[in-house]
Amino acid sequence: MKPIYRLFYLSYRVIGGAWYWARRRFTTAGLFVAGGIIVTGATGVDIENTMTYQAFTLLFAFLIFGFVSSFFFRAKFSATRFLPRVGTAGQPLPYRVEIKNLTAKPQTGLTLLENLTDPRPTFAEWLAFQMAESKRVRPFHVAQRRRRNPFRLATLKPAEIPPLAAYGEAEATTEILPLRRGILRLTGITVARPDPLGLFHSFVKISAAQTVLILPKRYPLPPIALPGAVRYQEGGVALAANVGRSEEFVALRDYRHGDPLRHIHWRSWARIGKPIVKEFEDEFFVRHALVLDTFDTEPNSEILEEAISIGASFACTILTQESLLDLLFVGHQSYCFTAGRGLAHADQILEILASVKNCADKKFATLEQLVLNHVSIVSGCICIFQKWDAARRIFIEKLKALNVPLLVLIIVPPGGGISNAGESAVETDGSLHVLEIGKIEETLAKLK
Amino acid sequence: MKTPPFLLLAVLVFWGWQSDLLILGALMGVALESSRFIKTRWDLSTDDFRRLWNFCVLLAGALALYVFSTNEGGGGFGTLVHGSAAGRTATLSGLHTASTLARWMPMMFFLFIAAQNFSERETIPLSAISLIFRRRQQNAVGIKPEWYVNIAYPYFIVCLFSASIHANEGAHTFFGGEGVLLAWALWPLRARRFNFAIWISTFLLALALAYAGSRGIGQLAQLAQNYNAQWMTRWLSSRPDPTQAMTAIGQIGELQMSSAIVIRMETKNGAPPPSYLREASYHSYRSQTWFAGGSHNEFLDIPAAANSGGTAYDLVPGKTNTADVSIACYINGWSSELSVPESLLPLPSGSGRLENIPSSVVAVKQNLTGGVLAAGPGFLIFDARYGAGATLDSPPNTNWDLTVPTNEIPALEQIVAELKISSTNPAQVELAVAQFFANKFTYSTWQRPDKTPHPNETPLARFLLRTRSGHCEYFATATVLLLRELGIRTRYAVGYYAHEADGENQYVVRGRDAHAWCLVWNDTTKAWEDFDTTPGSWVATESQRAHAWQSIKDFFSWLHFQFSKFRWGQSHLRRYILWAVIPMMGFLLYQIVFRRGRKRQAQKSNNKNSGAIPWPGLDSEFYQLETKIAARGLPRQSGEALSDWLARALAENTLADLRAPLAELLRLHYRHRFDPNGLNAEERKSLAQKVNTVLKTLAEK
Repeated sequence: MKPIYRLFYLSYRVIGGAWYWARRRFTTAGLFVAGGIIVTGATGVDIENTMTYQAFTLLFAFLIFGFVSSFFFRAKFSATRFLPRVGTAGQPLPYRVEIKNLTAKPQTGLTLLENLTDPRPTFAEWLAFQMAESKRVRPFHVAQRRRRNPFRLATLKPAEIPPLAAYGEAEATTEILPLRRGILRLTGITVARPDPLGLFHSFVKISAAQTVLILPKRYPLPPIALPGAVRYQEGGVALAANVGRSEEFVALRDYRHGDPLRHIHWRSWARIGKPIVKEFEDEFFVRHALVLDTFDTEPNSEILEEAISIGASFACTILTQESLLDLLFVGHQSYCFTAGRGLAHADQILEILASVKNCADKKFATLEQLVLNHVSIVSGCICIFQKWDAARRIFIEKLKALNVPLLVLIIVPPGGGISNAGESAVETDGSLHVLEIGKIEETLAKLK
Repeated sequence: MKTPPFLLLAVLVFWGWQSDLLILGALMGVALESSRFIKTRWDLSTDDFRRLWNFCVLLAGALALYVFSTNEGGGGFGTLVHGSAAGRTATLSGLHTASTLARWMPMMFFLFIAAQNFSERETIPLSAISLIFRRRQQNAVGIKPEWYVNIAYPYFIVCLFSASIHANEGAHTFFGGEGVLLAWALWPLRARRFNFAIWISTFLLALALAYAGSRGIGQLAQLAQNYNAQWMTRWLSSRPDPTQAMTAIGQIGELQMSSAIVIRMETKNGAPPPSYLREASYHSYRSQTWFAGGSHNEFLDIPAAANSGGTAYDLVPGKTNTADVSIACYINGWSSELSVPESLLPLPSGSGRLENIPSSVVAVKQNLTGGVLAAGPGFLIFDARYGAGATLDSPPNTNWDLTVPTNEIPALEQIVAELKISSTNPAQVELAVAQFFANKFTYSTWQRPDKTPHPNETPLARFLLRTRSGHCEYFATATVLLLRELGIRTRYAVGYYAHEADGENQYVVRGRDAHAWCLVWNDTTKAWEDFDTTPGSWVATESQRAHAWQSIKDFFSWLHFQFSKFRWGQSHLRRYILWAVIPMMGFLLYQIVFRRGRKRQAQKSNNKNSGAIPWPGLDSEFYQLETKIAARGLPRQSGEALSDWLARALAENTLADLRAPLAELLRLHYRHRFDPNGLNAEERKSLAQKVNTVLKTLAEK
């Protein structure tokens, strides 16, 4: 099978590359002319019974002139992009580009095209996606919803460049529609000029490498009464966050066995002659754990994307001025990020989420261990799962046994559900919600 | 994007002109362009466009069927299901069908473009055109915005393409017309940075280049045809022309022969195969070419044998045929008259009857020199019954069959002198000639250049007097002319020499087995007989030319043979495929139904769920009262509140006593309908009872 897939992959690369080239090089009219050449070339072989070959020669001559004229575009430009730092997947990202004409010849009728890095995957990535798709898609069912090409980075909109005077500057507004979260790398800018017939573009390329972070898609969430109550945070916010430490303490008292050495007030000890420790004001506030399940074998899983989107939605919605949010997931290692109450902003969690990938080399138990170690300090847990199986059920039962208030969200493919629902108590107590892809927004809106 | 004004009118007029449908084209164009002046628009929904599109596609299908059937296009449905019985005159003419359909495309999709032009939006939703797009739209996650396109430019392209589908009569009207129309179409799309002078000069230069290109293509095709006619047709295309045979006599160098299998034979009951498979014979020789002295028109239809069901033809009626061979051959020629493949059949000498001719054969014809022409499929399997005795050739004609070209006479006279034949007995003469060629001549496919040119020497004279080495055409031509010089009536025959076995009772004939020999008239038996003077070593010499990968080529040849059997309906595979396709289709249908069923079930259960939560208050008995009062001639207006209507209805004095109870009932009804807490059981009961009481009172009034 592999050689056949190699062949498919090769054709995917060649066709994809050719189409990308054609889309940029030809104008819409030019694409019609190129299509016309193919059709008339095929039908015009019989020159006795059709006149199509004459149409073929004419269309071909148009393109020859377009192609030849592309060698006579000798302009020079420089360009500066005014790009936002971040964008959001699925949301148009408009920005300005300043173009400067570096020659004495005025320029009009130019188009600005953005250059992205080659989004075509390696054979291994492509094969993994095809295998996952072949499992999911039913043969012969042509109309079944197929996944959008997950390797496509963004759709680019060509922008018209206003007329440029000799050595003049102009500002064009263009737009990118990012399709994937993560880092979007722009390699340069191409200035395109059509030929006199308006069919074929000639290019001047400007090197302008830049990146923009694309955050995950977010859903609007209703005001959710998250489970759990305020909990005592030993050491206050500062210690809770493990960054710096507060000198704000309420009193001093005698040292008791077990007090940490860092709490010893040395000056008082020196003055009094016995160990004195600082007593901090007890901190009580809400602290939530956002547990993200990253365990799926499929590298470009649609479910993972949705899980991340939901995670991002919670990160944005929870009022972090008043509470803390810990993001717990497993990637190359186990991660725990805390945001809120001035420690870190939700944006930073989004930036982390923008780069999360599925973890194929570790087991779910790693996440379980991470959460169970952390659970004593949190008020409640929001768990976002990619599937519902025995391991996850046992994990939730353990959390229940620890009296951790829970909100469990399970993402299922369109038309799917969870198997053996109702077997466990956790499935019936109302804390578990099944989110079907395609109906996630409406299901989330019903959460209370 | 909209087309510039009157472009569609122009292109439709052009299409009509080129397709001999000028009035229709003009009417269609006027109808489309009238949308610029007529401001009336239809509010067409996506569903309406979808129906129109389906109609256009069905129309195209129906037209295809119509064209196909008027072509008497067989090889399709009829023969697929009914085998040989249905399609007597049937032969696939798919090319004609396709070109007719291509020419009619503007008509087929006229309704659709007209709908676009006269719709409010003046664009077409994409999901109306593509079934897959529509399904994906339906199955899409979330709401997917509809895409709208203007199909004016695509329709323009279709019209221009359709206008090009007609025979090339050498006129330049199409080129000029398409040039003007394309200029018209491209003008609004031009690059604005260039001025008109640059645009028009570029366009004209492109036009000139295209004109030169199209002339060049025409000349190239002509050149290829001529090139082909010179020698390819003879040696690469395996079928000779029934009217003339251009020989390779006089050509210098190696004769290239193909080793591809061109004929397969199967003999019955272990009988030996016929040695010679003749395709044609000729009687006049001029300048290295043999002529049959006629044209295609001299071919006469052979009627099908009586009681054969149209599958047998008697070539020599009344002849007793002693042997039987099944022959499979390719029909490589083309009949411009019937627009189907056509060529001469390779037949054993003395063929008297053809049997098991498939129904797809449109015509079987013969000419005076024994050529049998079959028209219809591109591949044919049939049985030839043959035996010694009479042949289908015409009897000898002194004008033709004894004529020797004057420029060949001196060389022939020298040979006759060398032969020193004293006998006038034809058999002895033939023997002497055969011995002469066998002893003094060698077989060779190689002709070396002549170092000492003899300006007046013909290639045949050179062969007879000096080189004495050549291929079968030299021997056959020399023999025919030599025997004529000796007073024996002869003809020149071309065909194949069959000698290669390929399994039990099976034989194959390759391109390199193509052969030429002599036909001699036997006055005793009154029949033409084969007489071959080519040295017997020619078979071995030709076989040496077999390549090392001959078996691989033979395998592909076999694949081609099997495919041709299938393609031209000479095997039962078509029917097997039909029977294989039916379960496959059944499986697909099951899949579709299964999926659909599940969907419907899912929908049903969803509906059930949604029905399980009825709107509160819909069961109120008050509605019965409403119906009753409305029946008295006071119907409630749409949008009229119940209370307003009741006040209007109860204005009637006869109903005055009902005002109080009805007001009370209305209040209860409203509570039942809109109060979040609803009615309690007692109140609900009271509502029902009170309504009943009022209904009774109403009935009495």
